Amino acid sequence: MKQTISILILGLTLFAYPFYARTENASSIELHILSPRTLSGTAGDFVTVQGEITNSNSQAVNNITTYLSLVNADTKMPVDLEDWSADRGLFIETIDAKQTFPLTWKIHFVQAGNYTLTIVADIGGNDMPIASKLVYFKVLPKKNLNPGHVLPVALGEPILIVFAFLALRYWRDRKHH
Amino acid sequence: MKMFKYIWLKDLKAELYTWKSLAWLLVTSMIFSVIAYLLLTNRELSLLDHTEMLWLFGKIIIGSALLVVVIDASSLITSEFENETIEDLILTPLSVKDFVLGKLFASLTLWLLVYTVAVPYMVVISSGTKLMGAFLGYTALLGTIAVLGFTMFVFAVSFFYRSLKNTLTTSLTLLLALSIPALFSTTLKNNALAKILGSINPLDNIFSSLDNVLVDYKVSIAQNLTFIMPLVLFCVAMFVILIFSTKVFKRRGIIKG
Repeated sequence: MKQTISILILGLTLFAYPFYARTENASSIELHILSPRTLSGTAGDFVTVQGEITNSNSQAVNNITTYLSLVNADTKMPVDLEDWSADRGLFIETIDAKQTFPLTWKIHFVQAGNYTLTIVADIGGNDMPIASKLVYFKVLPKKNLNPGHVLPVALGEPILIVFAFLALRYWRDRKHH
Repeated sequence: MKMFKYIWLKDLKAELYTWKSLAWLLVTSMIFSVIAYLLLTNRELSLLDHTEMLWLFGKIIIGSALLVVVIDASSLITSEFENETIEDLILTPLSVKDFVLGKLFASLTLWLLVYTVAVPYMVVISSGTKLMGAFLGYTALLGTIAVLGFTMFVFAVSFFYRSLKNTLTTSLTLLLALSIPALFSTTLKNNALAKILGSINPLDNIFSSLDNVLVDYKVSIAQNLTFIMPLVLFCVAMFVILIFSTKVFKRRGIIKG
């Protein structure tokens, strides 16, 4: 009887270990933001968001995909990162035990407004992604160097050329008559 | 009055006398207007670095000018053949040198017109930066060398073909072929063959020089000699081809064979 119970416990332990290990893997991964929590600038500026992913477990963790999630705090809607960052995500094959991996994203401020950014990590085999703390973006509207003066030139010059054509025609007609 | 001046003024009158023959100038101005306005006001485009805006606009000015000048230059000499007016011109005390020089000045005047139209846009776009002088100067310098080289090539082809259709097709194909590397990505430009071709391609050298001046702030001539020298060599090569084609023309006479 004792032998049967021992075999049963051993079998259950072996069966449950992978689930335990996965949970341990997920809980042992931490995401930290190293850059200031609030970044501000003008539309058109570039900022760098730095973070790190740490595996505090005693085992290596495999297949980690890290990516950004940006939310417009004014409209409460997620933002398509297409123009904001050329690097959508970073795949890390393995993070060894007690190892830290640096994460860097260059962000292009595209539109004025308030935003929150999160770094998210999907770990292979885990159902629950891990997210960093929020980074706050305050993007001011871009003041173009010369928006007021371009319109008179953009409209004025073709009109001036048309007037020059009319003057040319008038001069030519007068010359012939 | 020197004979080349006669040819120059004759062609200028033909080019500039009616509004129809000048309509391209209005179209060019409208292209510059739309691009300048978009660069400074469109949300995505206005996010470009200011120096990149100047670089992009410089490329558009020189590109548009080359297109206009190449199309126009294709008809300058061939029209004399097709309208059979070359015979009358050759019967006058006019040398082939004066004839070609007069036509060359007419083409350069068109470039001057395009440049003059572009100046207010260049001033508006570059105001507020310290690059206005360099932008105006280098666009003028690089554009003039490029226009000179391409015009000489078109004239050489004109003497060989004596037909507008063939000259225009060949000239535009060459211009297009040399413009294609401008569309290449940076990775593709790093390819060994692309690097060699880029170093001799006049358009690539123009764009690289503008990039050197406007984006990297290397504004002295010495810092741009790497790009200007191949352009000058291109002009010299086109001059040699032109001389050769005029000699062939003189040997063959007005009526081939």
